[in-house]
Amino acid sequence: MDESLLFDNIHVAYDKADVLSGVSMEVRPRTITCLLGANGAGKSTLIRALFGLTPPRRGSIIFNETDITGLPTHRIVGMGIACIPEGRRIFPKMTVHENLLMGAYQERSQAKIRSTLDRVYTLFPRLAERRSQLAGTMSGGEQAMVSVGRGLMHEPRLIVIDEPSLGLSPALVNENFRIIRRICEEGVAVFLVEQNVRQTLAISSYGYVLSQGKVVASGTAESLKNDVQVQKAYFG
Amino acid sequence: MEMELLLQFCINGLMLGMMYALVAVGFTLFFGVLDVIVFSHGDTVMIGSFSGLSMYWWVNAYYPAMPAAGTAFLVVLAAVSVVVLLGMGVADAVIVPLRKAPALNTLLATMMLGTVLRESIRLFFPDGSNPHPFPGLLPDWSWRSSQLTLRFDNLALFCSGALIIALVHFIINRTRLGLAIRAVAQDEEAAKLMGVNFRLVVLATFAMGAGVAAFAGVMNGIYYNEITFGVGLLLGAIGFSAAVIGGLGNVFGAILGGFIFAFLQTIGAVAMPFAAAYKDVFAFGVVIALLAWRPTGLIAEPASKRV
Repeated sequence: MDESLLFDNIHVAYDKADVLSGVSMEVRPRTITCLLGANGAGKSTLIRALFGLTPPRRGSIIFNETDITGLPTHRIVGMGIACIPEGRRIFPKMTVHENLLMGAYQERSQAKIRSTLDRVYTLFPRLAERRSQLAGTMSGGEQAMVSVGRGLMHEPRLIVIDEPSLGLSPALVNENFRIIRRICEEGVAVFLVEQNVRQTLAISSYGYVLSQGKVVASGTAESLKNDVQVQKAYFG
Repeated sequence: MEMELLLQFCINGLMLGMMYALVAVGFTLFFGVLDVIVFSHGDTVMIGSFSGLSMYWWVNAYYPAMPAAGTAFLVVLAAVSVVVLLGMGVADAVIVPLRKAPALNTLLATMMLGTVLRESIRLFFPDGSNPHPFPGLLPDWSWRSSQLTLRFDNLALFCSGALIIALVHFIINRTRLGLAIRAVAQDEEAAKLMGVNFRLVVLATFAMGAGVAAFAGVMNGIYYNEITFGVGLLLGAIGFSAAVIGGLGNVFGAILGGFIFAFLQTIGAVAMPFAAAYKDVFAFGVVIALLAWRPTGLIAEPASKRV
């Protein structure tokens, strides 16, 4: 079975103005694939299209050889795709523990939830200490941990991570990249959306560069490091 | 004024407060989860009363030998099932499709819906434009002294109401469904991304709010021994005010608001015995003053945090 995620000729429009026009890409299993691009390039729109929050006007999205274009969000998530959304989007008035339980919302086996919970608490001992604290009262770095931990609770086959470094200190950014690499090493495909070009390319194996709603460059992370399009996408 | 009379007012106030709290819980649940004010909610309560009455008539006609407890159970069951179905229907046909529309449209649609419900009962229920006597349902045991009457049915209704509120609280805070409801209330999109079936959660929330309202409808009938097609208008206005006083979106606030409103009405009746008919005017007047003092409700978070 091919567990790839494929975007095929995706068009997305808000109020008739095309935000994405003909985007095609592939996220392969057990690898980190990154999506680079400046603000407003359409990165978040592509993620919204993937999860059915803004269904594409044209084109199709295939995961695990199944067409998931425009399915209700919970069905797409049920295919084994987790999201660590931009801006963390933790549930502020829930405890850390409840936030993590939300990550495993579709899992019915209590035993399985407990073992995943143990794994996440081992990965983030800080969250174990603060399990009964309301997530909204935590620091930005801790909220980032909650968001990542919540995504892992889903035990996904593919995890989409949208702008994880946003608003974090350099030390925490490094920590984040270390964890992302570790997630991939455990056999999960990672689709990483980032602005932090150098560090992102350092851990990715493949990358795409989006500019004004189109893929302007793609290739192995190694080849993208020196690509002029990458420079142009960020610096005009 | 004698102590016993005052006590009597308190007991009546507590009964009314429980009834208002049950209605207000619906308003606050719907607002918390979907940010909508469902103005037909009061009329949903009225539909509960009439469904219960219909069941009572049916039982009387076909099974006159049914014991009182059985009849009471069937009446509540009929009221709750009809109103739960109605609530889910309203959610699916009106609230969810209007999700993307301006909030004003939902407001208007639910107000119209309330009118449709009211007029339907007036026109299509047998002799619907006149008040109907509502059966007592519960045995009329009571304890009397010179001025004080402690009715068994009041006590039973009050305890059932408290039990229902406790059940709602348990569902919201201790179950998987409750977790999903709170998630949708706090961040709808994030909840979807965690795999929550949004439509199902909305339907469940409306079923819950409507079921609680149906019980309030039966309670209202028993308390006043009479129901009319228009009873939902005032109950709706009171329930909505109660929810707003407490802070919309907050279940405890709604309960507090319900009791505060009943307390105000009672004060109005006690303090102005010469003008007891004005007790609602007094109560709503104080509500306006309370809102001027605390625009976001008594126990809600500051407006700046509700982004």
